[in-house]
Amino acid sequence: MRAAVLRYRVMAYVTGVVLMILCFVGIPLQVFAHNDAVVNYVGTTHGILYLIYLVTAYLLARRLRLAIGPTVLLLLAGTIPILTFVVERWMTRTYINPALQAAAEAAAAPAAAPAQPQSS
Amino acid sequence: MPSAKPPPRWHFLFTPRWLGWHAFAVAAVLGMLWLGDWQFHRAEAGNALSWAYTFEWPIFAIFAVVFWAKTILDEFKPTTAAGSGAPPVELPAGASGPHTRGQDVTGGADDEDDPELAAYNAYLARLNEQVKGHGRWHGLR
Repeated sequence: MRAAVLRYRVMAYVTGVVLMILCFVGIPLQVFAHNDAVVNYVGTTHGILYLIYLVTAYLLARRLRLAIGPTVLLLLAGTIPILTFVVERWMTRTYINPALQAAAEAAAAPAAAPAQPQSS
Repeated sequence: MPSAKPPPRWHFLFTPRWLGWHAFAVAAVLGMLWLGDWQFHRAEAGNALSWAYTFEWPIFAIFAVVFWAKTILDEFKPTTAAGSGAPPVELPAGASGPHTRGQDVTGGADDEDDPELAAYNAYLARLNEQVKGHGRWHGLR
């Protein structure tokens, strides 16, 4: 669970930053300075990073057993500048923290349980 | 996996809510393929950058199909340990619960006579819930 959260979080930040560079540096340069270099390289990079983001975000969504609505929002968040960060905060507050807390409580609760079970 | 005949387990797929999502998925996939086709024509017209997008859009479309299939298949999987006094595992707010209850993974009714065994089964069910799918790629179930 923690690993899935970490993978998602890393990809959310990386994708979000690259997308902000693309939108707030690359596109103004393209429009006003007619310089396509940033858009070309950063745009392609964002496309590839977004593929990885999709996989990590989807795996996290399945792990958290999100409903479809939040899942779709989570996946689309990588395409809209700034929204990536907003959604990451919202995910953490609404889903990730409660899930991690529930897992920690469940791990602490059965202290009186008999033997250590084999991992399946 | 045994299931009661009426109503069929896949019935939920035809609720208005799910039909809406199906339509969304189909529209999204068609849109992605269309965008890929558009980029392909731009690439052929001499826009070298479009070659990257020509391949990216179909990949997105494949992702959409795979995610969609996996989401539907996941809905069929039993996700709670029912019975034997196992407390329902708390889901975060908004998380979708299972549509169907699966087999009783914590054992039969005869376990209920033994509180120690029942407690241990509940503990195993909780552990199972926590580590479900942990660190493993299951492929497309």
